[in-house]
Amino acid sequence: MNAREAQVIETFNQIQSALRETPHLLRLGRLFSETVLIETGGNEVYLTFEKGQLVSVAEGPSRKTPWRFALRTDAEALEEFWQARPAPGFHDIFGLVKIGRGRIDGDILSLVKNLRFFKEVMALGRKSEELAA
Amino acid sequence: MSIEPITGCYLTITAGGARRRIYVEEAGQGRPVICLHTAGADSRQWRHLMNDTAITASNRLIAFDMPWHGKSLPPEGFETQEYLLTTEAYIETILAVIEGLGLDRPVLAGCSMGGRIALQLAALHPEKFSGFIAIEASDFQSAWYDIDWFHRPDAHGGEMGAALVSANISPFAPETERWNTLWMFMQSGPGVFRGDLSFYTRDDSLVARLPSIDTSRTPVHIIAGAYDLTCTPEDAERTAKAIPGATLAVMDELGHFPMSEHPEGFRPFFIEALDKMPSAAAAAA
Repeated sequence: MNAREAQVIETFNQIQSALRETPHLLRLGRLFSETVLIETGGNEVYLTFEKGQLVSVAEGPSRKTPWRFALRTDAEALEEFWQARPAPGFHDIFGLVKIGRGRIDGDILSLVKNLRFFKEVMALGRKSEELAA
Repeated sequence: MSIEPITGCYLTITAGGARRRIYVEEAGQGRPVICLHTAGADSRQWRHLMNDTAITASNRLIAFDMPWHGKSLPPEGFETQEYLLTTEAYIETILAVIEGLGLDRPVLAGCSMGGRIALQLAALHPEKFSGFIAIEASDFQSAWYDIDWFHRPDAHGGEMGAALVSANISPFAPETERWNTLWMFMQSGPGVFRGDLSFYTRDDSLVARLPSIDTSRTPVHIIAGAYDLTCTPEDAERTAKAIPGATLAVMDELGHFPMSEHPEGFRPFFIEALDKMPSAAAAAA
């Protein structure tokens, strides 16, 4: 795992902490109890949610962990996604797909039904506006 | 306390062989400019420009809600119908509103599906208008999503629609206006966004018509935001190249709903577009 991949894990750990302090997202995600696979290159991270809480950030690979949907991208793209003001295409998970830097697999309807929740959880890793200035 | 200069009224027209009660807002005086909203939203997207006195000093901005949208009710019997917007119905509605309001060759400014229909009107009914401002508009794109997601019994189409279109809003947009913009999608009636997207993503009849647009009679100016995933600057550029004489502006820090998501950022681009349109006197000549 290179430094960029390690930073992805670190950012998801920060997202886990931030989500605990974000009541409106815990409310929005109260019906979401699923495991989501994030794949960056050859590395895997499993995000397990229970009623909106991110209860586990587990490094893979794991053939024993079922997941509902997956976002497959690369660490550099996620690094750009987490900038306060990402470049066009890097500003949204569907943008990553559109520009050929991401793929979404699995139960996409599950993602879409919980899209606001999941996109805002992902955006918790975004740098603040002050850092962007 | 303040009172805005926007006024509203209801207009009854006939379209699709039936009466349609249309909600219309306007502000300003001078050259009439019809402002068309995007799919799944309504005329509130134009409220910032309608409150801009520098623009309304010489332009009469008129925005209306399409049937099924905003304060324009769906037609009688809607509960047994599937709403699927068509090019023909859209054009008939716009022309009926213009006739109902007694407008003489207005400028037509439309965003997204409103921009698409503006280009259709530039090809099919240029004599009714003095110029066209096509915002986030292009010849055709198939959907990058499944439009059936937005009308299901087991999910809230408005919440899903808003979450999806948030992908088209620029990170430079002020948070307040981002969420005001998304609210309109959250309020969209069941199946309405899907029905609009059916027109936007499945009707490719404009493509072959683009070369026939005569910009020497009615100018066409296209505006596109760099953060628009649905109508990208590349889509807009391809479309502008297919229309002899069309002009194009790309907004580096804006997305698919510029007049609503970031009114200050959009303002200079809209003023530039208006400047490219014939004056009221020239249009009347």
